[in-house]
Amino acid sequence: MDALARAIARPEPVEGLAARSPLAGLARRSVGFADVLAQSVSAVAPAGAAFTTPFLVSAVAGGVSLPAIAAALVIALLTASTINEFTRRMAATGSLYTFVARGLGTAPAFVAGIGLLIGYAFIAMFALAGAGYYMVFLVTRLMPEASLDPMLLGAAAVVVLGVVCFLVLARGIRLSTRVTLLVEATSVALIVGLIVAVLASNAGRVPALVLEPPPFDVQAFAVAATLAITAFVGFESSAALGVEAKRPFANVPRAITWTVLLSGLLYLGATSAQIVGFDVTGLDPATSASPANDLAAAFGVPWAGFVLDVSIATSLFACAVASSTALVRVLFSMGREGLLPASLGTTHPRHRTPFVASVVALPVVTVVPVLMIVAIGGVWAAMTVLIILAAAGYILAYVLACVAAPVFLYRIGELTAWPLVKAAVAAVALTGMAVLYLVEESGGDRAFGVSGFVVLLAVGIAFTRERMLRRPWLRHAIGVYDHAVAGDVLGGIPAAEWVGEEPDRSRRGD
Amino acid sequence: MAIERAAAEPGLHARQPRAIHSAFTVLEEVALCGPGVTAREISANLRMPRATAYRLLNLLVQEEYLVRLGDLSGFALGRKVAELAHLVTPARPSQAVRTIVSAVRAHVRGGVHLAGYAGSVLRILDEDPDFGLSDAARLTRDLEASAMGRLLLAESRRDALAASEGFVAETLARGFAVQTGAFDPARGCLAYPIRDGDGRLVAALSLCAPTELVEHPGRLLDELRDGATRLGPLLS
Repeated sequence: MDALARAIARPEPVEGLAARSPLAGLARRSVGFADVLAQSVSAVAPAGAAFTTPFLVSAVAGGVSLPAIAAALVIALLTASTINEFTRRMAATGSLYTFVARGLGTAPAFVAGIGLLIGYAFIAMFALAGAGYYMVFLVTRLMPEASLDPMLLGAAAVVVLGVVCFLVLARGIRLSTRVTLLVEATSVALIVGLIVAVLASNAGRVPALVLEPPPFDVQAFAVAATLAITAFVGFESSAALGVEAKRPFANVPRAITWTVLLSGLLYLGATSAQIVGFDVTGLDPATSASPANDLAAAFGVPWAGFVLDVSIATSLFACAVASSTALVRVLFSMGREGLLPASLGTTHPRHRTPFVASVVALPVVTVVPVLMIVAIGGVWAAMTVLIILAAAGYILAYVLACVAAPVFLYRIGELTAWPLVKAAVAAVALTGMAVLYLVEESGGDRAFGVSGFVVLLAVGIAFTRERMLRRPWLRHAIGVYDHAVAGDVLGGIPAAEWVGEEPDRSRRGD
Repeated sequence: MAIERAAAEPGLHARQPRAIHSAFTVLEEVALCGPGVTAREISANLRMPRATAYRLLNLLVQEEYLVRLGDLSGFALGRKVAELAHLVTPARPSQAVRTIVSAVRAHVRGGVHLAGYAGSVLRILDEDPDFGLSDAARLTRDLEASAMGRLLLAESRRDALAASEGFVAETLARGFAVQTGAFDPARGCLAYPIRDGDGRLVAALSLCAPTELVEHPGRLLDELRDGATRLGPLLS
């Protein structure tokens, strides 16, 4: 241990370290693993998706829904593992936007950034609308005599939830993550309880799910797997907490992997429960208006429908909080870099949150779904359009991140075979799925969701081009991440002051 | 992930010691090459397969024993290694410093100790040979218990919300820190700050004496202040 002992006794000075991180102002290194995990899990909203995705998937896939979900899980895992090549090495608030900037450079980073902003914003809108939708269900269940217009009630609920969401976000990262953790854990527990109840009461039929596979239809399988992958999007959102997480290089990658595994297992369980459930009751999922409620009623537990509505509503609300959390942090990064107005890159002096970004983003996230609900004339119909924009935005950012990862690894001299292979497989599979999904949707009555995405993307690209022409120095400013500061490194602070520790570190954020 | 997997399983396994050995070899190599060494250089120097070296480096970064510098390709020893450095005994203070501390001791009835601060760490630089510290280990570990620790905490929390309450507020108002009864029910301690030219807290001169004397130090405070003023330029 000679060299190590020498280094400790007389630390070699490390030159050129800043005293402050370029992302200073946030509550640096303040939230633990549970909070980071909650951020990713909530952005996926597995409890909400567990009762919508299997129905959507089995509607197209018929018998092959389990293999389709399993395939989506594998692709999501490969993508997550590729994104983790970044999260293990870089702590950023810009998430995939920053990662792509470090791999592929400015122009692809803007495309990824716009995709990510569309993804986070529209999934937040979708989740707010969804939470409102299920709250209307609850209100009409509790007060059946009150004759209220469900559309207006839904719109009002969205506004109320949007305001609550803003307050949670502005008050501090710990509050946002704690609220989402509590809410999401409750909903997942409720869903798991119901799945176990259905499967346990029909234990004899479970082996048949695996042992007697139905005839395999390749095209249905591909479409179904694509639909299933939309249920995973959002798993990377804890990457936006890179600066605020404790031990980010351990906690963020772990949270991302766990989120994918947890959601995948939940979806597989929910799908099995539904297949068994419909099989036993003889109901047809295609003709059922509210399959989960019908199933619950058929099993003689009508109150379960109530529990389901509560858990789906809360899960979607947590999703809105988590997605907005990530959204405002990407805006914050862009504000710090100068791509967006600098005020977006400022933090609240007391709560240490990207306050201005929240003030700008939350009204948009709240008002757009309200307008869409009124324009389209129904909450559910609006949601099906919002999710198309969100999924397309996410998958675009994922594909670019998968392409960027090997380039980034090559740049820092750490490229090996396996990361290259998994990134390539994930990029190809995701691209295929995105194309299939958009082509499929552009033919139906939700085609304007697809065109809306294309228009937004084009507007975003035009804006960033314009911005680049006016501010050529942006080329060197894009992709800020949390540099090691002097206090993080042995020998970073001269003389006897080198043992940087907690009280000192927490103050540095002010 | 060898270390992680092994850590998840109970008991020691054959592979675990090797993984730990490799991790220390990597740490040692970073110390040897100095800040800025790249992953490729480390794997080449140690003749270790690249995938293994990169995995170990990333694990050490996760645990914060190593830190990635600037463009993310170079490594340096991180703050966890600095924490290990608590084990290293600080160098003996210079003759000039020891003379001043002895002079204060000659005027004061009670233990006079000199403590140094490095970041948030407290280390005893010169312990009074006639009145030894009752529990030096607890002194450096439990900062809230001792006057020397409280002085450091008050300084670091000066701007925080906590500055308006408890011992932090008292210490900031008084200008020095006091503790009574934490180590010995009948005795207490008073820590007077030693500051460098920029007003930064670098050390403390402390008096350990019966509670009565600590609460009403009278002219003893002048002795400590005088000593602290003379020590400031020598310790920064």
